[in-house]
Amino acid sequence: MSEHDKIRELLALAAADTLTSAEEKQVAEHLRSCGACSNELAAWQPIASELRRLPTPQPSSWLVRATLARAEAKLSEQAEQEWNRRVMIVVVALAWLLTIASWPVSQFVSGRFGSLLGPKFSHTWISFAAFTALGWLAGGVAAVVLAIRQRGERRLA
Amino acid sequence: MVGATALTLEGLVAVDADVVRLRRGDLNALAELVTRYQNRLYRYLLRLVRQPAEAEDLFQQTWLRVVEKIGSFDASRNFDARLFTLARNLAIDHLRRIRPESLDEPLANSSHSETVADRIPSKDQTPLDHALATERRTEISEAMAGLTMVYREVLTLRFEDEMKIEEIAQVTAVPVSTVKSRLRRSLEQLRYALEARYSGGTWQ
Repeated sequence: MSEHDKIRELLALAAADTLTSAEEKQVAEHLRSCGACSNELAAWQPIASELRRLPTPQPSSWLVRATLARAEAKLSEQAEQEWNRRVMIVVVALAWLLTIASWPVSQFVSGRFGSLLGPKFSHTWISFAAFTALGWLAGGVAAVVLAIRQRGERRLA
Repeated sequence: MVGATALTLEGLVAVDADVVRLRRGDLNALAELVTRYQNRLYRYLLRLVRQPAEAEDLFQQTWLRVVEKIGSFDASRNFDARLFTLARNLAIDHLRRIRPESLDEPLANSSHSETVADRIPSKDQTPLDHALATERRTEISEAMAGLTMVYREVLTLRFEDEMKIEEIAQVTAVPVSTVKSRLRRSLEQLRYALEARYSGGTWQ
């Protein structure tokens, strides 16, 4: 491709003001000695200039108001969902904490707290671990049930 | 026409502040963003789908999607790019679903709506100048509406929205070289369409 053809390809982009500074220099230099390219650039200018002056269609005030109302409702709904999620996390964490804490408390109340450090130490800790695992399992089942229910609600919404 | 082109540096800073406030659930920030972007976003959607009723529906959907995704917005990427990308994706999904052929084929007899302010002649124009200017704009609007979607898109983003090539590349998710090539081809096709109206003459 000759230098002339390369510059000619850049003229539409020159009218769109999108040339790099190196390309701009190249084009300016070429235009000084090429009448055909100068005319070609002059043909692009009115098109570019009219495109810049096209009327801007505007949305109706009704549309803006309706959009804001829907978006605000969505924002409130999301804030409420986030709040519910946090409350649920706290409640589940509290339930687990109570489950785990109930073992040493029940041992303490029944006067067998000392057995945690006594000779049947390993036996006591195996029971404690089993009790804790049961608590986690119950919590896990509750979380799965809640997740399934939430998914169902989202599908209905 | 307030807010019809890309924002200044001050405007961008204000937008960033509004985005931060919106993340915290501030409803006023949402109203400010919608007001600031309403003309640019609506124009962009209308250029893509060409039907005002569809552009209106997509306008609402875009803002609902903004609210839905505001928490995951990447702070390093400007809001303009995110907003226009969301709008673009929704418009393309809509066109694929409703009129898949419209992503390629031109639409006949389509014109762009204009505002009352646009119809008022400026003080330094004679009625004849105004009539000629209006005619030229109608011609260019019609010729533009006849181009394929990607060409209409690049023309509106560059000339009406005054986005830089790099910003257009961000919105359309293509390399800068592709944007430049689309821009050149869209201008060539537009010029060809305009000149075809004048049986071999030059559109000036």
